[in-house]
Amino acid sequence: MTTTTPQPLADHGAGHGAHGNHNLTGFIIFLCSESVIFLAFFSGYALLKLSALNWLPDGVEGLEWRTPLINTVVLVSSSGTIVLAEHFKAKEKIWLFRAFWLLTMAMGSYFLYGQALEWSGLQFGFTSGTFGGTFYLLTGFHGLHVATGILLMGIMLIKSFLPGNYVGGEQGVQATSLFWHFVDVIWIVLFLLIYVWQG
Amino acid sequence: MTTTPSLHEDQPQLSWTRYLGFSTDAKVIGIQYIVLAFFFFLIGGFLAMIIRGELLTPPADLVDRTVYNGLYTMHGTIMLFLFIFPVLNGLNNLLIPTMIGAPDMAFPRLNTAAFWLVPVFGFLLIASFFVPGGPAYSGWWSYPPVSIQNPLGHLISGQSLWLLAVALSGVSSIMGAINFVTTILRMRAPGMSLFRMPVFCWTALAAQSLQLIGLPALTGGAVMLLFDLTVGTSFYRPEGGGDPVLYQHFFWFYSHPAVYVIILPVFGVFSELFPVYSRKPLFGYVYVCLASFIIVGLGLIVWVHHMFPSGVTMWMRNLFMFTTMLIAVPTGVKVFAWLGTLWRGKIQLTTPMLFCLGGLINFVFAGITGIMLATVPIDIHVSNTYFVVGHFHYVIYGAAVMGIFAAIYHWFPKFTGRMPYEGLGKLHFVLTFIGANLNFLPMHPLGLMGMPRRVSSYDPEFAFWNVLASLGAFLLGVSIIPFLLNMISSWARGPKATHNPWNAIGLEWLLPSPPPVENFEEHVPTVISRPYGYGTGLPLVEHQAEIERQLILQEASA
Amino acid sequence: MTPTPISINRPAVIAVSLWVGLLIGISRWVGLQSYHWFPVQASTAAPLVDGLFSFETAIGTFVFLAVASVMAWVILRHRAEKYDASDAEPIEGNTKLEIIWTAIPFVLVMAIAVYAMKVNTSLGVLGPMEHIHLADAREQQGGYAGDRLPAESIEVVARQWSWEFRYPEAGVSSTELHLPVDQPVTFRLVSEDVLHGFFIPAFRLKQDVIPGRAINFNLTPTRVGRYRLRDSQFSGTWFAANQADVVVDSQEDYQAWLKQAAHLPLQAGISDAVAEYQQRQQQTRTPGWATVKPAPPPQVNVPGSNALPHDA
Repeated sequence: MTTTTPQPLADHGAGHGAHGNHNLTGFIIFLCSESVIFLAFFSGYALLKLSALNWLPDGVEGLEWRTPLINTVVLVSSSGTIVLAEHFKAKEKIWLFRAFWLLTMAMGSYFLYGQALEWSGLQFGFTSGTFGGTFYLLTGFHGLHVATGILLMGIMLIKSFLPGNYVGGEQGVQATSLFWHFVDVIWIVLFLLIYVWQG
Repeated sequence: MTTTPSLHEDQPQLSWTRYLGFSTDAKVIGIQYIVLAFFFFLIGGFLAMIIRGELLTPPADLVDRTVYNGLYTMHGTIMLFLFIFPVLNGLNNLLIPTMIGAPDMAFPRLNTAAFWLVPVFGFLLIASFFVPGGPAYSGWWSYPPVSIQNPLGHLISGQSLWLLAVALSGVSSIMGAINFVTTILRMRAPGMSLFRMPVFCWTALAAQSLQLIGLPALTGGAVMLLFDLTVGTSFYRPEGGGDPVLYQHFFWFYSHPAVYVIILPVFGVFSELFPVYSRKPLFGYVYVCLASFIIVGLGLIVWVHHMFPSGVTMWMRNLFMFTTMLIAVPTGVKVFAWLGTLWRGKIQLTTPMLFCLGGLINFVFAGITGIMLATVPIDIHVSNTYFVVGHFHYVIYGAAVMGIFAAIYHWFPKFTGRMPYEGLGKLHFVLTFIGANLNFLPMHPLGLMGMPRRVSSYDPEFAFWNVLASLGAFLLGVSIIPFLLNMISSWARGPKATHNPWNAIGLEWLLPSPPPVENFEEHVPTVISRPYGYGTGLPLVEHQAEIERQLILQEASA
Repeated sequence: MTPTPISINRPAVIAVSLWVGLLIGISRWVGLQSYHWFPVQASTAAPLVDGLFSFETAIGTFVFLAVASVMAWVILRHRAEKYDASDAEPIEGNTKLEIIWTAIPFVLVMAIAVYAMKVNTSLGVLGPMEHIHLADAREQQGGYAGDRLPAESIEVVARQWSWEFRYPEAGVSSTELHLPVDQPVTFRLVSEDVLHGFFIPAFRLKQDVIPGRAINFNLTPTRVGRYRLRDSQFSGTWFAANQADVVVDSQEDYQAWLKQAAHLPLQAGISDAVAEYQQRQQQTRTPGWATVKPAPPPQVNVPGSNALPHDA
């Protein structure tokens, strides 16, 4: 769904003309709805943690938070770079737009890489009680969104090289950027819940 | 905006085969939804016949207990996810664009995708009858730990297919909801402010907003259940420290509002039809519109009333009792508004009107038992008994399905261009009304006596009322025959319909029957007054007389 | 609740008042009738619940009949003449009426809610819950782990598909629940596998039994007799057959039963599911679809019966 909505509507069947562009409206509605899934996972995490007899699996002391903090800083600052990219696009400095857009993608990829590194070093798995389950569920589901965001940015980057690149399709860039901010905000909440709240 | 209404004389005759393919036309998709929904309605109804057959006698003698559990699970699942939601989405597709004067939905291709997911997950659900071990058997609630027990231990089990189907249904509904909300918010005819919008669109907007807020919670909960079932996590598994009650919160956070997703558009249908067949404006239009959104707000904070005996604390019980009770207020406002509309009207007892009146009285009954269920001490006694089954069948069949039938009879001429037969329609109404009451009323005494729901056998003292209920169910089964006959024969060779056979007010009635592919195309009339101006003499749109004259000329020349 | 005409029409006011009076009379009568729709009252909770239900039934009956009266009147008296396609007099709304009919349901439901809250407080059936570890190894051997519950309470163990009742003080276990009349009892409800529902219709009480939690639950039986305990939360294949009998004894009979039971050796208790499962296994072609295997019948001092005639 996320991949189809940002694209402009071409002709769609016999006799149908373009119906105006409501893609951004639709995408914002979608994001609001999507946030409820995270809300559900967050509240599930909190409830399970608060009511657990033994929260951490045997042999697990807690989560290391320093490397994830660096990851967090990278991801959150990528919200800034994407804003800059959009700014340059508005000023029609297309190469600067591409550069910052690419930088954002790189920062997102770095985050994913850090996440993968962290996962591979952990002593518990998805099935290690409710702690392991919720940890991998939350970080994994968020990681999936980061990957989707990078993919969307890639599509938008390629489109910037096509002739008549964003004619009528400006909203794709806006939607991708919105999505990226959304992914960042979710991560901040997630980081607070999982890494900061360890007591 | 040009003032000349469009003429559609040279419109090519469209082949019926367009209903079989990937159309992006909302009116085609709407009919696809409704026809497919009724196909599944017949399957779900057939399962209900077996269930009531089993319950004719106290012992479990007609089918094996495992089969009974599978059947009642699939009955509920099919009726909700493959009948009610698709049929309502069908009505949304037909009515929203035509009522607000839009040429189509905001995202036609998303619309196509949302529809074609329905046969896909429908196939998955029906296929689950044939996998080893049989279909899901843990009820449409699918409460863990029963739902994660997986007796055969296979990865592909009835339960995992069930979860997959429900997840796809959720995706389809979210796609639909984004589309409907965007269309209503952004594509209304010029002059149609929110408080000039037909009530059906208000209720659709309210219902679809609920889908957007509620469904993701269920999806999240279902994903965790799927992981518990297939890879052995322990979100809900007590042995691993999980909490089965957590699932219930996720489930009911959506599935209680789901009831409003179903009933709100039906309130919309009542609000559209009572004015037409009483020849009076809707009483208190603004209050009726706002009441829908009050129901949305309250509907999101009542879910724990499904869990009063599930081990929630006393303060939660009391709090959720109060919020649930408050739902009676906006609902009451609507009921009184309909009565006010009927009062001193010029009532025409047509088939759609009969279904509305029957649906209204059934709904009032369901509302009263709903208040009883909200009351904690009574709920403690009757929850998970047949009292609840009776209550929600009054809501879903007695009110919602009756309202859907009313809508189908009312708008049938508009979208097929043919008139349905009144005689068959009235027979359908009489059989449905008697059948539904005979089927569902006896469930209330059964519940009060203490017969749990979902049982495949019961103590002999419950036999009397069960026999009555089963007879009612069989009558309901028969009642669908005149409906199907009516639909098929009148669609094939019913009398041709004019553009406004019921003399109704609304943008959809200013279109030819059936409307052209793009509805008004670029000649969308400008709305200048509120809907339902019966008896006021006010035109709904600019140049209304001219538009109607053109339509009549066009019909005369055809 | 019918919208009154604007000009005062004396005969109409009298007729409406008479009709409303009649409806009130009928509603009162239906409210009183509703006591007969329940099983016998066998606990302190039952009269409270039945009273509340009767109150709501009376109010509900009145509302239903009032709405039905308006609809019937409209259908009989305000029908359009044949061939009359004209519109009626347009009345778009009336703010005063809107306020009245918003206030009436509000007051009604709040009255019901406050009444219900009072009943709720006096029922006070749900005790504190604690999380526990499941599957005590000792229990797998049969018998019970009496040390895990406080004295003076009866432990109820729900399984797929049997009920087991343990009396720690007397050292007795049974698959038939015996209770002394007019004596408050505390249960400790635990489940070994899935959700179950502890539901005794004659007591008007119900509580889900949740695996991983122990739930304290209080009630006071008030009537000697034999009643049904039904599983009320769907628990799988033999859910419907997961019933036990509750025997409320006089104080002396109860003590005598406990004393006698303590001397009986452990034996297999009642589990209809196990019997049906064995029958099913003997068939050459297993009927139906997959099922979870029932837990073995609990080892108890007194199996009791669940096939005797019961009062409710």
